[in-house]
Amino acid sequence: MSNYFYDMVPREEMERMPYLPTMGEFVEWMEKTYADSPAVSDLAHTITYKELGERVARRRAYINGLGLPKGAHIAIFDRNSQDAIELFLAVTSAGYVAMNFPASLPEMAVIGSCMKFDIAAIFVRDEFKPLTAKLQGVQVLPASAIAEEKAPVAVVDPDQPAAIFFTGGTTGTPKGAVLSHRALMRGSFNAIFKPGKVIGQHRYIALLPLSHVFGLIAGTMGCFYTGNLIFTCEDMKATIGKLPVIKPTLLVIVPGICDILAGLCKMYGPQFLGGSLRMIISGAANVPPRLVDIFTKLGVEFCFGYGLTETANLTSANADAITHPTSIGKVYPGQEVKVVDGELWVKGDNLFSGYYKDPEKTAEALTPDGWLRTGDLMRIDEDGFLYITGRIKNLIILSNGENVSPESLEEPFYADPCVRDAMVKEDEMNGQNVIAVEILPLMPAFDGKPWEEVEAYMNALVKKINATLPTTHQIVKVTVRTEDFKRTGSMKVARV
Amino acid sequence: MTREEVFEGLKEILSVIRPNTDLSQTGFETELVRELGIDSLTMLLLSLAVEEKFKMRFPDGAPAPTTVGEVCDAVLAALN
Repeated sequence: MSNYFYDMVPREEMERMPYLPTMGEFVEWMEKTYADSPAVSDLAHTITYKELGERVARRRAYINGLGLPKGAHIAIFDRNSQDAIELFLAVTSAGYVAMNFPASLPEMAVIGSCMKFDIAAIFVRDEFKPLTAKLQGVQVLPASAIAEEKAPVAVVDPDQPAAIFFTGGTTGTPKGAVLSHRALMRGSFNAIFKPGKVIGQHRYIALLPLSHVFGLIAGTMGCFYTGNLIFTCEDMKATIGKLPVIKPTLLVIVPGICDILAGLCKMYGPQFLGGSLRMIISGAANVPPRLVDIFTKLGVEFCFGYGLTETANLTSANADAITHPTSIGKVYPGQEVKVVDGELWVKGDNLFSGYYKDPEKTAEALTPDGWLRTGDLMRIDEDGFLYITGRIKNLIILSNGENVSPESLEEPFYADPCVRDAMVKEDEMNGQNVIAVEILPLMPAFDGKPWEEVEAYMNALVKKINATLPTTHQIVKVTVRTEDFKRTGSMKVARV
Repeated sequence: MTREEVFEGLKEILSVIRPNTDLSQTGFETELVRELGIDSLTMLLLSLAVEEKFKMRFPDGAPAPTTVGEVCDAVLAALN
């Protein structure tokens, strides 16, 4: 048991928050424990934990009435609304498996994901309904659907699946990480640890997507475990614009949003954040020390951590950002870690059960004796603080926390008849980390045309490829190479 | 307010958002993504900062501008 975390929260508060291994037990407990405290608000309307619990019970009754076998997969395709929050709690506590679809998912990805992940029913926000029109064999239901009567929580084994999360990016062929009730709840329990009193102390905002473990577990579930109030967020820009009204005290955000808030504070003063902000919990991407510095000067405590979808988000957290600004912190309770050939391996209740219907990738990630190979190179100092020293995998981690596989971005270049080789990587441009590509032209295809035309062709090609990509995945920096890449023994481009 | 006045205000914001970028060559045709390295999150900051500076709101669902000139035009359209 790590005192580092247990010492953060007053003992009398820790005693009020037991570790509960299933979503059903948790939903019942939070309704009873925090009954009259405000739970969810959209600014216009606020409901208490008792009201939330009752609505979730009515949602369960509706879901039970669909006639699906327990354990069936149910997707939730919504923005970060009250409906989406209630549905996630209801689906999981009724004994079904929830899958939150990102709000930005295009039509073909919705159809492909429903097939790939065996979705039996999908709750859809009205606005997204046209994207589900071509679905076959899937019950399409309004996100607002609710019954009059209530249904009790289902009794499930903690090792049964509770939710599936997209991982490995939302383009290309994403995998589905299956989290059991035990994993989801261990991640949620770990989300309670923050310096100082935590119960009923904070106003959260669901700024990050609920399809992302950091937004759902560190944000929403951490909020509910500690009996706090969360504001819904159906439009990130509009919600940030309302910070002076919402007056959040705690934000769970990625470094990219920290940067936005820092920029707005610089231009319009710290009152833009509402004047009540006391803590930022940042993660899902590397946190530059300059951000810690900016917010510390504003009197905001800055905590950040490290985690993966496969570890139900939270593996480590650093509440000592000032003294250890480059560390990703110490390991959360309930886990064992070791460094094998420089790579961090993790074991614990919070580990995922595997990638859905992908035994090959699961075997690559999980050892037979239950260790997760994180793919991250790590150093642990004598005080137990972890430091990332590199990444084994080639994944590019964007500033918003999403992962991009460079290989998936390279594919369309290889489909072009004028490209010999291309390599996508993370690079720097104007002080920002951006996605860059280096292209080696297939010169015979240009038939002796001037170099300017070759460069113009490649720039146009990048523009064409970018048009097919989400803005976050677009290639910003282009280099057209005159010399060959460094190559491996098998003549593959060496990724350096 | 003229397009040039909006442009000057926008350059002030860009000088904060992109402190390491030489904006002396920035014009109406400058591309936000390719030439200024503005990704989707920075675009969010830019739009919030522009709304605050010019006391206007971009309409919901409006297409994202791709050049500096398009930002100026969107501001003028919202103001008018």
